[in-house]
Amino acid sequence: MTTVLRQVALLTMKDLRIEARGRQTISLVAVLGTLIIAVLGLGLGPEGRVGGAGATAILWVAYLFGGVLSFEKTMAVEREEAAMAALLLAPVDRGVIYLGKLIGNLALMLALAAVITPVAVLLFGFDLSAAPLAFAAVMVISMIGFAAVGTLFAAAVASTRLQGGLLALLVFPVSLPLVVASTQVLVSVFRDGEPLGGLGLAVLVAFDAVFLVTSWLVFECILEP
Amino acid sequence: MLEISRKASAAYWMAALAALAGAVAMLIYYTPVEETMGPIQKVFYLHLPAAINTLLAGAAVFAGSVGYLWRRDLRWDDLAAAAADAAVILGLVVLLTGMVWAHSAWGVWWTWSPRLTFTFMLWLLYVVYVLIRPSIESADRRALVSAVYGIVAFLDVPLVYLSAYLMPQDIHPTSINMVGSMKLTLAAWFVPVGLISAGLVVARYRARRRARTQETVGCRRPACA
Amino acid sequence: MVMGVDIDAGPPPCGETAVRALDLCKQIDGRPVLRDVSIDIPEGRFVAVLGANGAGKSTLLKVLATLVRPTSGELEIFGRRVRGDAGPLRARIGLIGHQSMLYRELSARANLVFFGRLYGVPQPAERAMHLLEMVGLSDRADDAVKTFSRGMMQRAAIARALVHEPDLLLADEPFAGLDPPSVLALEALLLALHEAGKTIILAHHDVDQSLRMAQQAIVLRQGEVVVDRCTRLLDSTTAIREMVTA
Repeated sequence: MTTVLRQVALLTMKDLRIEARGRQTISLVAVLGTLIIAVLGLGLGPEGRVGGAGATAILWVAYLFGGVLSFEKTMAVEREEAAMAALLLAPVDRGVIYLGKLIGNLALMLALAAVITPVAVLLFGFDLSAAPLAFAAVMVISMIGFAAVGTLFAAAVASTRLQGGLLALLVFPVSLPLVVASTQVLVSVFRDGEPLGGLGLAVLVAFDAVFLVTSWLVFECILEP
Repeated sequence: MLEISRKASAAYWMAALAALAGAVAMLIYYTPVEETMGPIQKVFYLHLPAAINTLLAGAAVFAGSVGYLWRRDLRWDDLAAAAADAAVILGLVVLLTGMVWAHSAWGVWWTWSPRLTFTFMLWLLYVVYVLIRPSIESADRRALVSAVYGIVAFLDVPLVYLSAYLMPQDIHPTSINMVGSMKLTLAAWFVPVGLISAGLVVARYRARRRARTQETVGCRRPACA
Repeated sequence: MVMGVDIDAGPPPCGETAVRALDLCKQIDGRPVLRDVSIDIPEGRFVAVLGANGAGKSTLLKVLATLVRPTSGELEIFGRRVRGDAGPLRARIGLIGHQSMLYRELSARANLVFFGRLYGVPQPAERAMHLLEMVGLSDRADDAVKTFSRGMMQRAAIARALVHEPDLLLADEPFAGLDPPSVLALEALLLALHEAGKTIILAHHDVDQSLRMAQQAIVLRQGEVVVDRCTRLLDSTTAIREMVTA
C-alpha cells in the first residue's frame, strides 16, 4: 500500500513540477475558459439576464472545453519523447499511473475553476451567497467524475495523430449526466432553497464511483505504445 | 458466420418483412384507437420495441468492447461497431417516434421532458461512437478507443437515464390505459423490430468482416489467423 | 571498475536462461510483424539482432522488454513466465528505444532521480550523478532535456535505461545520433556491462560492428528468424544476404 501511495505521489509531483516549469497548460486553459465566458457574456449582452440554470451551463461550457484541453496537454507530455514507455517499463501498476495522471488533471481543473468562476460571477452577476459551500461541493464532485473519464480517454487516444477534436467528442456525451445532474441540484438548492441532497447528488456520486473504478480497471488494457 | 448462404439470408429478411407487414396490418385494423391521444398514439407500438432494442444494441456494443479488450481479436471490434450502427439507426427511430408523439400530445416537436432528453442523450452516445471511428487510421488503435468508449457509454446509460429524470416532468402525464388488444399489439411489434435489429447487426458485422482484407499469415497458431 | 561498471562481478556460473521465446507472433493492424519467433538466450550473452528496415527488430525488442504483448506465443524472462502484466520482472529489464523516453521539461538529473525513485533505487540522487558522469553529461546535469542535442539526448536515454542496473538490457539502435567518440564510449560501455555478466540484446544496422561485439547473431527477415547462430560461425556478407528476400 505504501508503495502505491509513494508511487502515486511521485507521479503526481512529477506532473506538477513539469507544469510548474512552463505554466503553459494552466495559462492556456485559464485564458480559454475566460474567453468562452466572455463570448457568452457578449453574446447574451446586458439584456441576457441569466438565471440559475444558465449560470451552471455557462460555467460547464468553460469547464468542459478547458478540461479537455488540459487532459490533452498533460497526456501529450508523456507522448513527446515516448516517456510513457519508460513508465510502462518500470515495475509500476498501470492503475497507479492512472491515479497519478488523474490527480494532476484534477488539480488543473480546480485551478481552472478557481480562475474562471470569479470571472463568471463578476460578468454575469451570479449570486452564490445563498449556498457557496453547496456550489463548491457540487462542482468538485462533478469535476472528479469529469477528470476520471477525461484522463481515461486522453490515454486511449494518446497515440493517434488526429487528436484535436477527438477527445472532446468522446468525453462530452459521456459527461452529460454530470452537467444535467449538477445543474438540477444547484437549481433546487438556489432557486427552491432545498438542502443539498436527493437524486441529483446521488447521480453525481454514482458517476464518480462507477467511472473511477472502471477507469482503474480498464487502464491496464489501454496503455501499449 | 460468413458462410450464411444467400438463400438463408433472403429467407430471413422475407420473414422479417412479413412480420412487419403483419404488425402494421394489426395496427391499422385490429388495435383500437386510444381515447385521449388519437390515432398518432399508435407510434408507441414502434417506439417502445425500438427503444428496448436500442438498449440491447448498446449491450452488444459493450459485449464487443469487452471482448476486444480481453482478446484483442478485431472480430470483437467488428461486432461492437456493427451493434453501434444498429443502435444509431434504432435510436433515431426512437427519437423520431418520440417527437411525433410529443407533437401530437403537446403540439411541439421538442420538449426537454425526461423521456425525450434521455432518448436524445442515448442516441448521441452512439452517434459519437460511429463518427469517431473514421478519424483513427490504425485498426488496432481504432478498436481500442472504440472499446473503451463502448464500455464507458453503456455504463453511462443508467446514469443518463437517472439524470434525464431529474429534468422537469412533462406538463401532461403520458400514461395510457392499455386494453388487452393493445398489449397484444405491443407484444406483436417486438417480433419484426427484434428481427430487423438482429438482422441489421449481423449484416453490418458481415460487411465489416468482408471489408477487412485477410492477409495470409505465417503463424502456425490459429490465434494469429 | 571499468567505465564505472564492476567487471569482477563476472558472468553467472551455469547457463541460466535469460530469455526464452516460443512461437512469438505479433500482429499490428491485422498485419503480421513477427511470425513464430523462437529464441533461446542464456544469461550473460551478448546477442545482436540484425535485419532490414521493417523486419521486426524494434517490435521484437519491445516484446522481449514486456512493453508490448505478443498476439500469441510464450515468453519467459529469467525463468519466469511473462503472462499479461510482467510486474516485478520489469525491475530487471532495461530498454533503450528510438525515442529517449525522458521528460523534456525536466533536467537530466531530475529525470534520472525520478526514474530512480520509481524503480526504488537506493540513493537515487547519487546514482543519477554517477550515471551522468559515466555518459559525460555531468556539466549539463541541470539543464532541461529539451535543450539537448540529439546525441546528448541519446546519452541521457542510455543513463535512464541503466538507472536500476538491469540484468537484461535491450538496445534498439542506441548508436543513432552519436558522434564517433560517443560511439566508441558506448561500445566500451556495452562490452563492460557484458563483462559484468549482463545479458545484452542489441539491434543495430552496422553489421560488422554488431558481429564484432556479439556472441550470438539473430537475423530477422519479414518477422521471421532466418539465422540464429554463433557470431564465430557467421560473416557479415552472409548475414546481409540473409536479411534480404531471396
